[in-house]
Amino acid sequence: MGQKRPRCSLHPYFNCPLLFLLGLPFLLKSIEIYRSPLPFRDIDSLSTATESSPLLFPCGFQAVFVGFDHRTSSKFNADELGFSILGHMRKLTESNLVCGTCGNNYTVSVALDSNTGCVRNQKVKSACSWQCGALTDFNLDDNLKDDEVFDEYLESVLVGGERCSNLGGKVYTVVVVNRDEEVKAVVGKHRHAWIIGRVSEADAVEKIAEIFVNIFVNGGKEEGLIHGEFMPVGADGRVVLSFNLLNADPRDWIYDWDFQTIDEILLAPIIEALGAVANISVESQVLYHTPKSSFSYWDDKRGSYIFSTKDLPFFVNSNEWHLDTSIAAGGRSKILQVVVYIPSAKECPLLLQLPNGDVSMTNGFISPMWGGVIVWNPPGCMRDSESMHPLKHKISAQDLQKVFEVFMGQFRQLFGLKSDNLYVGSTGTSILLASDRGFTEWELDVLSRQHTCFNLLSCATTLGSLSRLVQSLPRMIIMDEIGKQVKFSLKAAQLAQSNASLGIYDASTVSSRQARSLAEDAFFHPSIMSVSYYSFEHCFAVYSPFFLPVSLHVLLAVVREWRRYRQEMKKYLAWTTKRR
Amino acid sequence: MRPSMALLRSIILFFLICFASDSIGKEEQEEEFSEELLLRPLPDRKVLAYFHFESRVPPTDTYGRHHHLFPKAIYQLVHKFRVREMEMSFTQGRWNYERWGGYDPISSSNAKPPGVELWAVFDVPQHQIDASWKNLTHTLSGLFCASINFLESSTTYSSPDWGFQPSLGNSRYGTLPREAVCTENLTPWLKLLPCRDKAGLSALMDRPSIYRGFYHSQRLRLTSAEFDSVGMNSGIVLEQTLTVVLQPSTLGTGTMYSSGSSLQPSWSISSLFGRKVSGKCVLAKSSNVYVQLESGLVSELKNLWKENERSEADILAFEGSWANSGFELSVVPDKVIKEASSLGKGGPSFLYEFLIKNYNDSKPFDLGFTWKFPIYWSCLQAPLHASRFLMGSGNERGAIAISLKPSQQSGDFYSVDINEDNCRLRVDVFQVVPWYVKVYYHTLRVFVNEQLQSLADVVERMHVSPSEDKVSPGLMEMVLKLPCGVKSAALTIEFDKGFLHIDEYPPDANQGFDIPSAVVSFPDFQSSMHFLGDNFLNNSPMLSKLQERSPVLSYTEVLLVPLTTPDFSMPYNVITITCTVFALYFGSLLNALRRRVGEEERRLKSKAAKKTGRLHLLLSKLSAKLRGRPWEPPQSPPSSSSSSLVSSKLILKVILVAGIAAGWQYYFG
Repeated sequence: MGQKRPRCSLHPYFNCPLLFLLGLPFLLKSIEIYRSPLPFRDIDSLSTATESSPLLFPCGFQAVFVGFDHRTSSKFNADELGFSILGHMRKLTESNLVCGTCGNNYTVSVALDSNTGCVRNQKVKSACSWQCGALTDFNLDDNLKDDEVFDEYLESVLVGGERCSNLGGKVYTVVVVNRDEEVKAVVGKHRHAWIIGRVSEADAVEKIAEIFVNIFVNGGKEEGLIHGEFMPVGADGRVVLSFNLLNADPRDWIYDWDFQTIDEILLAPIIEALGAVANISVESQVLYHTPKSSFSYWDDKRGSYIFSTKDLPFFVNSNEWHLDTSIAAGGRSKILQVVVYIPSAKECPLLLQLPNGDVSMTNGFISPMWGGVIVWNPPGCMRDSESMHPLKHKISAQDLQKVFEVFMGQFRQLFGLKSDNLYVGSTGTSILLASDRGFTEWELDVLSRQHTCFNLLSCATTLGSLSRLVQSLPRMIIMDEIGKQVKFSLKAAQLAQSNASLGIYDASTVSSRQARSLAEDAFFHPSIMSVSYYSFEHCFAVYSPFFLPVSLHVLLAVVREWRRYRQEMKKYLAWTTKRR
Repeated sequence: MRPSMALLRSIILFFLICFASDSIGKEEQEEEFSEELLLRPLPDRKVLAYFHFESRVPPTDTYGRHHHLFPKAIYQLVHKFRVREMEMSFTQGRWNYERWGGYDPISSSNAKPPGVELWAVFDVPQHQIDASWKNLTHTLSGLFCASINFLESSTTYSSPDWGFQPSLGNSRYGTLPREAVCTENLTPWLKLLPCRDKAGLSALMDRPSIYRGFYHSQRLRLTSAEFDSVGMNSGIVLEQTLTVVLQPSTLGTGTMYSSGSSLQPSWSISSLFGRKVSGKCVLAKSSNVYVQLESGLVSELKNLWKENERSEADILAFEGSWANSGFELSVVPDKVIKEASSLGKGGPSFLYEFLIKNYNDSKPFDLGFTWKFPIYWSCLQAPLHASRFLMGSGNERGAIAISLKPSQQSGDFYSVDINEDNCRLRVDVFQVVPWYVKVYYHTLRVFVNEQLQSLADVVERMHVSPSEDKVSPGLMEMVLKLPCGVKSAALTIEFDKGFLHIDEYPPDANQGFDIPSAVVSFPDFQSSMHFLGDNFLNNSPMLSKLQERSPVLSYTEVLLVPLTTPDFSMPYNVITITCTVFALYFGSLLNALRRRVGEEERRLKSKAAKKTGRLHLLLSKLSAKLRGRPWEPPQSPPSSSSSSLVSSKLILKVILVAGIAAGWQYYFG
């Protein structure tokens, strides 16, 4: 009997698993899930675009020099003045290209208007430029005293500039009037400012550059104010202003307000003005038995109760102040609470002490992204006699007016603007005129630029997270609706970007808001969260009772076969050596 | 912060002008809030406390949308979902119709089925009602911290046609019998009151006291005429009531009377609630407390008075007075209101009114009610007492039966025309059955006086909308006309228990499934009280509510149907056992394929030639021992050393296993 070289024959035992492998595509087909295709590449390009290059808007600046004697300063022609302003502005902006500003994407035109002639640098179209001699008709001596009147007059003169501002961004103007008086810089309610007084051209140029960059472009913000990232606008582009009148203890006195009138007369124009930035709705309620949760102490010197800034975190009593979320508001709207707090008789008058020891003049404070609190002390703090049933008072119109002014300041601060009317810069102080709509035109421009930028950033990050999430979970179901929302969001974002580059501020703000809201809708779509997907863990749990024992059998067979092979091999080797 | 933003002077002027003109124009319509509490001693030694709060707001057209008292949340809710009428109740415990009464307005409108009941009428087109209902349930569930959102499931809500409340179109009705009610539902409910529980009558709501009671039902009902285009626009009325039945603690009044009966427990507001009323809610227009003596109690008191042989004049005096022999009130009432005695209701009932505005912190209101004699009386009851039960056994089919039995006093109601043949008692029945209980409506049978009746004789009108699986529950509305002198009546209807999909079972499926309460109402009988004199009605919304005519209504018990519940681990068991069988088959197949028959036979032969196995050795040893013979090793004697080695190995192994087992027991057992 001749020995053969042994063969390890395993193939019949693996035919079975092979059959299973053949069936695997059918299995996978049966557990396949629906995924709407998402435009990942577009999302990535949007993210990279917003991250790498901040969104910059085109702006136009115009400086008008009135009443400068050109014979003495003949070396300055219009072009040189323009270059000089440009140089100063570059110095102020070069440090950072902040998103939502004009960056370096602006033009400066200069007009010299004097008795001897009218000089312009040639860059600007004639329709948009300053009409020379416009101020000669105007009686400067009388009317310069009243800033409001001059502001309106300038507006009527500059209406031509307004007409062409849609072509390549808004045009901001500074008029310098050389007169024999104290230097005064005023920023108007529209898109212009003026400097009047004994001012040299060099000083004027510096000041003009500062007004352009720090006020018209950056909104006159200082360090320490609320940063642009804290935009008090909900993800769906809506803001609910919830006004609350809190009577701390109605047993002492009950105050009521006529909110209907506030809503109709004072709030309506503000809401309209901010229409591009946010869709604002207003609601109000009066609450009773709502004590504050911090303590105050009696101060003899001031004859009042004092609470300090250290107590502010504990002032809002979330147990008793049920400033509910609104049913009328959608799920992702931002609710800004405005609380008017009327202290009880045992802590009246209640005053807020600032860290420097002074008493706050507004007697209120804000909490960014939450809202503001205003403490209003009833006149005289007198209890209504000794009767058990206090009378119902109405807050008088004048008091309400004051409260509303404080609110307006707080509201502006919540939006990141200055609440007072002075701007202190390196070249001196400027007066900022306030609009009766609460926000001046140039402030609205600033807001819409910033909000466009923020909305686009937020849209890009949301879509980026969505695409990362979707790619990291390959077995997640994605509904068609999500795909549609993402598509529309991207489209709106593109529209916002193109509008921004054309300088159409309002339209770009509106479409950026849409883009953000659609992106959030897609990210928080209920189907993303709730649909339980058929996971591989599940697969494993179902099929392991079969594959585990089978693989055990296969392994045992392999081990046995291997052992036999070695034995036979040994024998075979022994046989071959013996034969040799 | 500096004073900010001076606004234009003209604006201020305009503002002032508007303010002045507005304040003149708004004199007539105002928001109103009132709080009232009614206390009533019950025949079974308990006390009913009924809190009634009402807020009204004038219509938006004339008043605007900014409010000073009315809760913002409710106003927004009404406007968002265009609710015309809505009622929601959270109830714990069951109202005892036999002992606590079933005929008076309080029991008809405040005795509610356990759990949550919600119905709403919408002012939206027909196709939007379901969407509005679902959104409303979600909003309410957020507002009241309850799982009302389960009312959107198709098993729980239905659209009643006419059986539940007459003349309601566009309405939806749903119940959650298993919802647990506790203080987290009461707190948001209190938040709708301007004073919450900080002042006024609601300050009495000490949570442990009111949840200790036998029955607890908090109700919210709102009626809005905001969307009516024509007619009187009365704005929105929000009515909030809390009904509790409390057991006064008996404080050593163990005086036994000659008849062997003991005195009813005396109580006071502080002993019932653990608190006193320290003044009214300053925002309330009226704040009153009432003590009601039922007509049964009043007539008993009169009899007592008569027994003491007083003259007729004295009896007349009794009716107007508050001090009498049967009981004593610790506080002098401000007014006594007498109900006009009506036919079929026994004598009149009395209301003692206390005005809370006369009390304050230093002089809190604490009403005490002291019994002087043991008195027994019974409550007014609905003409028929309804109860419902299940019949049949097993997990396959069963039947629902509603039985109606006349209450003791029912003879009074129609004693006048009991002999007339055409005297008929109308009974409306409204029943919702979830779709997993498949009701066969053709099996409806009616028994009157234990005699099977043909349906045409008894059922005057019937509306059935059969259940549709996973879409809508079955709904049965019918009007029965029973003869007046009926001794008993019963309705039976058979059903099959359905199977649910595995996803549709609730987490505690083995507990059974609830069939919500049926509503049995008697439209011929109006539960309303008529008070003499009408000057006080203007300032008491509760009394005017009690005077409103509404049909006598009662709820039956909730039924618990055990359904067949699958073993929820079954799918995995099936998978496991199938896979095991397949694996066994695969293993044997593999073995068969792998085997080289010739080679193995060769090997076996050589092994057999070598020696017998160890097992064989052991077996022979064992058999030898059993037979009692000395053991003889098999033919080929193995070396003794090896055998001892084997046994020592075995012993070692056994010790090892035992050690592991002991260690396991010690550390993990």
